[in-house]
Amino acid sequence: MRVRMEYRVGNNLKFLGNLDMINLMSRVLRRARTPFALSEGFNPHIKLSLGTVLPVGVWGEREYLDLELAEEIEPTVLVEQLNRVLPSDMEIKRCIKVDEKQPALMKTINAASYSFILESNDDYLALPERIMGEEQLLVKSRGKQKGVDKDLRPGIYKITVLPQEESVIIKIWVNVGEPVNVRYDELRDLLVAQGVKPEAIVNIFRSGNYIRIGTDFYSPLEKVS
Amino acid sequence: MKDRIFRDILPNVSKPARYTGNEVNMIKKEWDHSRIKMAFAFPDVYEVGMSHVGSKILYGLINEETEHLMERVYAPWPDMEREMRQHRIPLFSLESFIPLPEFDLLGFTLQYELAITNVLNMLDMAGIPVWSRDRGEDYPLVIAGGPVVFNPEPYADFFDLFLIGDGEEVLPEFMDCCWENRHLPKQERLLKLAALEGVYLPSFYRVEYQEDGKLKQMTPRLESLPGTIRKRVVRDLDQAYFPERPVLPYMNIVHDRAVLEVMRGCQRGCRFCHAGMVYRPVRERSIETLQRQADRQLANTGYDEISLTSLSTLDYSGVDKLVKDLVETYQHQGTGVSLPSLRVDAFSIELANEVQKVRKTTLTLAPEAGTQRLRDSINKNVSEEQLLEAVKAAFQSGWLSIKLYFMIGLPGETEEDLLGILDLLEKVRALGDQYARRKVEIRASIASFVPKAHTPFQWQAQSSIQELEQKRKLLTARKMRRIKLSFHDSKTSYLEGVLSRGDRRLSLPIFAAWQKGCKFDGWSEYFNFAYWLEAFQEAAIDTEFYTTRFRSYDEVLPWDFIDIGVSKDFLQTENEKAALGVITEDCRWQECNDCGICPAFEVELDIKEEVQG
Ligand code: SF4
Repeated sequence: MRVRMEYRVGNNLKFLGNLDMINLMSRVLRRARTPFALSEGFNPHIKLSLGTVLPVGVWGEREYLDLELAEEIEPTVLVEQLNRVLPSDMEIKRCIKVDEKQPALMKTINAASYSFILESNDDYLALPERIMGEEQLLVKSRGKQKGVDKDLRPGIYKITVLPQEESVIIKIWVNVGEPVNVRYDELRDLLVAQGVKPEAIVNIFRSGNYIRIGTDFYSPLEKVS
Repeated sequence: MKDRIFRDILPNVSKPARYTGNEVNMIKKEWDHSRIKMAFAFPDVYEVGMSHVGSKILYGLINEETEHLMERVYAPWPDMEREMRQHRIPLFSLESFIPLPEFDLLGFTLQYELAITNVLNMLDMAGIPVWSRDRGEDYPLVIAGGPVVFNPEPYADFFDLFLIGDGEEVLPEFMDCCWENRHLPKQERLLKLAALEGVYLPSFYRVEYQEDGKLKQMTPRLESLPGTIRKRVVRDLDQAYFPERPVLPYMNIVHDRAVLEVMRGCQRGCRFCHAGMVYRPVRERSIETLQRQADRQLANTGYDEISLTSLSTLDYSGVDKLVKDLVETYQHQGTGVSLPSLRVDAFSIELANEVQKVRKTTLTLAPEAGTQRLRDSINKNVSEEQLLEAVKAAFQSGWLSIKLYFMIGLPGETEEDLLGILDLLEKVRALGDQYARRKVEIRASIASFVPKAHTPFQWQAQSSIQELEQKRKLLTARKMRRIKLSFHDSKTSYLEGVLSRGDRRLSLPIFAAWQKGCKFDGWSEYFNFAYWLEAFQEAAIDTEFYTTRFRSYDEVLPWDFIDIGVSKDFLQTENEKAALGVITEDCRWQECNDCGICPAFEVELDIKEEVQG
């Protein structure tokens, strides 16, 4: 049986690397005595796969994982069991059964949204239109071709500005993977280039991962057959 | 402070998860409701310190079973140090993010000599004066324990007190005493604490030297203080506290698994071995206790590996049964068992095969010396036959890579002994060619012998750096296929040698080396031998006095006042037997060898299972 879960990784855990997160999840599953399936061979491991890597320094509001189980188990029961042993700043929010033939999460997630929390009195309401109106948005790549000019524009889908009591949240929907993989740190550079003061950015989180079809963004829990 | 650290500092440093705390099973006690607040400091980076079993024991013991509180702190990596100093953030504890000066007690564990510069650096980062005499009433008491402090003298001027021996035996009572006397001025408090067995108050001892630089005598300044400090010993290890909810790190640490301390002590009696002498006698845990601890640790951590640790795990009387039980119980969950290093015999291999059913580990064997004569001399009780038998069994059962540990610079070593290492390696490879399924890889790790305090070789001369380099040349001259030699750094070993048999006069050069920038001396990328040499020179210290010099039996040694239970007579006899190449059998299989500890400390060997020796 395969299940897909949506979970939150809080601010306290934002400095974990991807391997740390896999270890953490494996240990959570063992502590909860989940009937996970093991791979064959001398080094058996839990058949667990995380969605796209959550970058170090960024926390995640809606992250996803797939897990193979050796026994049938009611998803709600599983969620309850896992939440009991998860670190305090983490939570499984939803869990559904998915078909074993579903393609891997990594392959289906093709978009994400990053939210920047800004503490500043400036007014950013005009920012989305300005950015979306540009033909080209050049930043220095922080990915594979470090330092090379990279145009983020084709990878940016949507920007919203949400004023809070004492802060502002700028949320940006971007492409993941080919053709332009937009990284959170490149977005930060972009915001700074657009006049946001670096010290105003007090926190960054990934607010969602999506399967984008045309102009629609679906959660990986929605688009499963 | 935590917010500032998360926001301004951690995004700029490598491996930020070292500094975030908040791990699963972390214990954060109510600050205001706890009695003595102690910061437990490990003077190395998080992933090393978090792997240390003794620290886990003390942390759990104090927090779970006493009214006191203990929080953790590790040495920040240099990039973190830079950021912290720049942002004026003092060294803080991982549980509460509280700066160290706010604690009552700051305890360092010294696991290796070279960690001392990190101690000074951590004190400095906390804004605490490094010299004990500069710390008035307002600072925490700074104390140290661990294997290194069986010779505390080189560090005597930095610490207020030392705790000698098994920490879990003395620390709770030490903290109680701190609490009872908390209203007293520092000097009086120190004297109260020094009245406890195993506690050493260095500033109250006068040290005199002879004209030739040797120690003349060491005397307490007050009659109430003891002339010798007796180490503390856990008598019943089976009943002793062991953590069942160890802190579970988020990042990968060096030993990232559940651990069982199957026994403490070892009386194989290898004549070079410090731990083997200072942690006598052997005390075992029962199989039932260990099974229970394994079960609870796994349930509370979710680890997928259990490691059986001790000085010589294969000598644990219940090892065969325990390993088989653990494998059988946890195999279906994909949880494996690991044995740190193996004894050199066929039984070991059989057991290793048991373990390998679940997870493949590297096979490591420690013959230590290349010829029978030298192995007898250091009392490493292994014959070449046994060794080759073990290796053959290993290849036959599918192992393809074997790592062997050796030492060079041992007392009485000749060229023949060195070449013997190479011959042995070639024999091992030949067995591989004959019995293994594929091409085998043989690796040899070659350490330099460092004579240690409280061992039979404490009087012996250490090889100079030049001698070690020559030996190394001799060993690398022969070209050998599929045999890889790796050497410990001879300069590091040399410095370790200076400190391990050093005296109080070394505090100045230690301080100077740190001031020049020495830290993380155990890490080759940071070790700066030139700074150390300068520091010794400025303090007019001749390092050869401590290293390459033979000591006579009537010399007063700086660590003589520490009573480890094993008598000096026994050490002397052992040293003489070494010269004659006469072995001393393990007192577990033979009659008592009169090392002295059992009668003197009213302890006994505590062996749990019947074994055929
Ligand atoms: S006193 Fe005798 S029995 Fe006890 S550890 Fe020493 S040699 Fe062994």
